[in-house]
Amino acid sequence: MSIKFQIITPERVVFSDEIDQVTMNTQDGEITVLPNHIPLVTILKSGELVCKKSGQEYQMAVTGGFAEIRPDNSIIILADTAERAEEIDIAAAEAARDRAIKTMQEERKLDSAEYATLQATLDKELLRLKVGNKYRKIRPEIK
Amino acid sequence: MGINTKAIKRRIKSVGSTKKITKAMEMISAVKMRRAVANVLATRSYAALAWQMLTDVAKKTNINLHPLLEKRPVKKAAVALIVSNRGLAGGFNSRILMETDAIIKKLKNQGVEVEVFVNGKRGKKIYQQFGHTITAEFDKMDLTMKVEEVAPMSNMIVHDYTAQKYDEIYLGYTDYISAIKHIPKIKKLLPLSATADDTLGAVGEPEDREVVASAEFLFEPNPANVLNVLLPRLVEVQIYQAVLESDASEHSARMMAMRNASDAAEDMIKELNYNFNKARQSAITQEISEIVGGAAAL
Repeated sequence: MSIKFQIITPERVVFSDEIDQVTMNTQDGEITVLPNHIPLVTILKSGELVCKKSGQEYQMAVTGGFAEIRPDNSIIILADTAERAEEIDIAAAEAARDRAIKTMQEERKLDSAEYATLQATLDKELLRLKVGNKYRKIRPEIK
Repeated sequence: MGINTKAIKRRIKSVGSTKKITKAMEMISAVKMRRAVANVLATRSYAALAWQMLTDVAKKTNINLHPLLEKRPVKKAAVALIVSNRGLAGGFNSRILMETDAIIKKLKNQGVEVEVFVNGKRGKKIYQQFGHTITAEFDKMDLTMKVEEVAPMSNMIVHDYTAQKYDEIYLGYTDYISAIKHIPKIKKLLPLSATADDTLGAVGEPEDREVVASAEFLFEPNPANVLNVLLPRLVEVQIYQAVLESDASEHSARMMAMRNASDAAEDMIKELNYNFNKARQSAITQEISEIVGGAAAL
């Protein structure tokens, strides 16, 4: 029994495959979906998404979106942005994080909207780093 | 060889370098167009799935109560106009501007106040040429890649609509049909109609949409919450698609314009070469006849 899994952003289809289970971060907490889950629509929070296929794990960094679990054993994730762990450019993510932190620490007073955008950028970069680093660590085992 | 041939030679050279430029612009536009078209295709499945989700939500709750779906008597409307930053794209900008002008005039005749949000530098013309009020001008990328790039515009639209500043919002964009055919279009964006949209983002053949059995869905935290997040996203995606369609149209219009320019330059060079040879020939003939005349006089 497997689940038809698809993760889509407005820009592209990030990942599409048959998988065994998926764990994601919803607004109400982390959930793991196994085959034959009841139909569900939920809002995703920014976080790590892990799906398992025959023992192998695939990590993704997802920043918000929706998940729809359909009655026909398929899951569709409409993500705002999503990146597979192997696609994450660690160096670029680190640089982006440092930039965000630096701007936030500067003396200049930011208005709340600016601050919120920066905070969101920072959260996103931290997430990318987390997922990316995790992937790097387990990479030799896969090989 | 006289002054005449020299002048012609200079012209050939200048037309030739113009041709090089137009040729390069044509090729750049072709690449950008292809990328924009690929982007439109990629958004289509997202948009289709988001609409499906909306229909699923609609079964569970009365979605018409949501502010973004609420129909109000129209007193003030806004048009979000998407044009290009640069010219040299044939009739691309003037056509969408004229179409927008027509719809604004129609609305104004019905006693509706209309304001324009422009996206793209050339949008200023809607004020300069047609005299309509511009309330906001957004920066536009030459080639929009990410959906975040349209976020400022879509946030403002959603906010102003919910704040009841405007009662209707239209989207003016250029629909990309094929490399040589694009149609300026004005589409009602808000209030959102709760049905899947017909044409937006439909470059090429429409995808087969699988029909999902309408089972009972569970909503977490609740349907209203999902709706609150989903609807603004739908607005954003629609704007994003419209921008991409316009991008594809702009670049293909520019490609065609530049191809025509290159062809015209080619013709001109041919003509000038002919004239040059003629002038050169007549100069030689004249010289010879002068020599012959001189020899005969001796």
